[in-house]
Amino acid sequence: MQPFVAALALLGLAAALVCAAYAVSAFTALPGSPVAGPYLSGGLPAEHAVSRYHVRWYVVTMVFLAFDMEMVFMYPWALVVTSVGPKAVVEMFGFLALLLVGVLYAWREGAFRWA
Amino acid sequence: MSESVLVVPLLVALLAFAAAAFDAVLAASAAGSPGAWRVWDAPLREAARLLVRQRRNTLAADRLLRRTGIAVLPVAAVLAAAVLPLGGADAASDSSIGIVWFNAAEVAVWAGVWLAGWSVNSAYSLVGGYRIIAQGLAYELPHMFALITVGVGAESLRFADAVSAQHGLWFAVQMPVAFAVYLLSALAMAFWGPLASPVGRDLAGGAMAELSGADRLVFLAGRYAMLAVAAAATVPLFLGGGAGPLLPAWLWTLVKTLAVLAALVWAGHRVPVLRMDRFMGFAWTVLIPPTLLQLLVTSLIAL
Amino acid sequence: MGLRGVLLRYAARRPRPLVVPVPGFTAVRLAAEAELRHRGWRPALSPAEADLLVVCGSPGHGLARAIDTVWDEMPGPRARADALDPSGVLAALDAPSADLADEPTQLHDAATRTSFTAEEPEDHAAMGHDSMSHEGMGHGMGHAGMDHGDMGGHGGHEGHGGGHEHHMMGAPHGLAMAGRAPDRDGLKLDVLHVPFGPVLADWPAGLRVTLTLQGDVVQAAEVETLGGGAGGERFWDESNVPAARLDSLARLLSVAGWTGQAAQARLLRDEMLDGRAEPARIEKFVRRTRRSRTLRWMLQDVRLGDFNAWTRMSDLLAGISGETPPARHPAPLGELLVGVDVAAVRLIVAALDPETEGAEVTHV
Repeated sequence: MQPFVAALALLGLAAALVCAAYAVSAFTALPGSPVAGPYLSGGLPAEHAVSRYHVRWYVVTMVFLAFDMEMVFMYPWALVVTSVGPKAVVEMFGFLALLLVGVLYAWREGAFRWA
Repeated sequence: MSESVLVVPLLVALLAFAAAAFDAVLAASAAGSPGAWRVWDAPLREAARLLVRQRRNTLAADRLLRRTGIAVLPVAAVLAAAVLPLGGADAASDSSIGIVWFNAAEVAVWAGVWLAGWSVNSAYSLVGGYRIIAQGLAYELPHMFALITVGVGAESLRFADAVSAQHGLWFAVQMPVAFAVYLLSALAMAFWGPLASPVGRDLAGGAMAELSGADRLVFLAGRYAMLAVAAAATVPLFLGGGAGPLLPAWLWTLVKTLAVLAALVWAGHRVPVLRMDRFMGFAWTVLIPPTLLQLLVTSLIAL
Repeated sequence: MGLRGVLLRYAARRPRPLVVPVPGFTAVRLAAEAELRHRGWRPALSPAEADLLVVCGSPGHGLARAIDTVWDEMPGPRARADALDPSGVLAALDAPSADLADEPTQLHDAATRTSFTAEEPEDHAAMGHDSMSHEGMGHGMGHAGMDHGDMGGHGGHEGHGGGHEHHMMGAPHGLAMAGRAPDRDGLKLDVLHVPFGPVLADWPAGLRVTLTLQGDVVQAAEVETLGGGAGGERFWDESNVPAARLDSLARLLSVAGWTGQAAQARLLRDEMLDGRAEPARIEKFVRRTRRSRTLRWMLQDVRLGDFNAWTRMSDLLAGISGETPPARHPAPLGELLVGVDVAAVRLIVAALDPETEGAEVTHV
């Protein structure tokens, strides 16, 4: 439990430091907080910038998710790979090979080339 | 244990300051300013400048999201630093899953930059925020494979065990591909240098284009802190921790950290920024296969 | 109070300037860049970052409005320097930097600030109508009901279908939510109209490109030039071609993110104009730029017509060494930008580096 207590203490300390920066600036900053238009190199906004975005790389996010799930297995695997022996290596890389086939397919479909 | 909790933020802050000062000196020297070393105090003046600035809000900005996103950067950097061994001394949080923790803290940066970019309701910042996610999708897998390679080599996910596993030979030599990939992703963690497109010059600062005053101060501090922590993690992961002749372990750790940090800052001025649509393909098709091969080789050696 | 004054004075010793080039006043910009370099003041990229606005020359009406807009976007402490000729740069920079350190001046400025509101019709009129040359409207796929006329006022309401929760509120804070239009994949997505330039770092003086964006992909682009005011003159001519090439290269390298090399290009440009450039250093610069694989990787797929940004850069480098590069045929800027993303837009504009200097002669 001790490591997490220390981490929690650091979290609190870091958050306090951030708050301190804001607190100091509250005293030292020039008064007033004018609302500025968004910087558009001297232009004025025609509409709000927050908008539904064209996420061109959404196919990559899918492939990424598959791998990221796999990572969850990989961290514990790293600890036992020597004790379990060759079987662990064969299994993990068999699994990775399967995922790589998916990457290869995504690549062939042009998922990594957008614009 | 309790002292190191206080020491960690202080060390991170000092390293971040060193990185920012070195960056200012490099910029001045590249520009040909006379006596470039004189600008070593640039981070102090910048901090003073930002502390007196009016609070700035953009039209219909989401202040809560903005502050949250900004605060994530320094907090994530300090939390990532928590698990790093301090030379001879233990880490502030000597966790048995330190490498996973480090990984998790560093990924929080994506959320921070994205929130900062989205919340200000400005088109340039929005595109900058969009780029950090694309960048994350590109660098994260090779980065994780590099970390796991270290885990396999050390047979542990604790940073201290990674250090002791390098008594014979540094992991930088044993697993050069993982080392190279880690250095690249260290740049990505702090969206620095060639991987700075989320805050790119072409977007007038991208995700941080609209930040001013304390917002900008915390954001920049967090960014330099992240760069410093990414550099500091290289030492226990790949450079043998505090191992070295003559000097005490803490001094070796410091020297190695500063060397890596200087190299990363220097790279920021010497390499063009990578466009995300080009880098994405490169990361998946060129970086991943060799990192997997490196992992395979390391696991076979570990057997 | 005391602490604020101390911090103000400490910070004012090294302000962060935002430099605004004006067509026809290149000599002023070069003098300002040299002076900033000499003082070790690092240029800023946006008004939020900057505290000193350095206007290099006398802007025409449209450009002056754009500069005022950026000035309004700068939080205090702030100061503005207007330099009209190269010899006046020194004096123009000194007074405002003293203002930055002066607490009463800044307190007064802060107290008189007003907030931005989106409902000022006369401001909207400034957006496209006092521009002077329209070189080629972009014709992107599917931007029906999205042409430039819609940008003024609340025209963005067209293409304003349901489905977006904010639409129920109409125009929050007096500004419309993004309208929608079909994209190239047959989806209906939000469309933003985003101007780049004229007040933008590493951007040709006076140029404004208004992009119709879905995400960061350009659906249409409109190019216009905002001219300089009276007193401007052409700076680049046959006598200083290599320096002009270096000036273009500095912008291209900077946009490409190679800041060290961009700074080197500016330094060599100024030395060349002063007639004290060492050929060996120029040669080293050219060699190093040509050798960069990363730069080549980032530029060679950026299409400019029958050539690309990398060949364009090689041409510029050849121009510095005194060679004559082959004739190229760039496509109109507005057409090149359609279908690419914002990163490529910046590289295309920086690589073509359209000439805007002649603009002030016909327009005040």
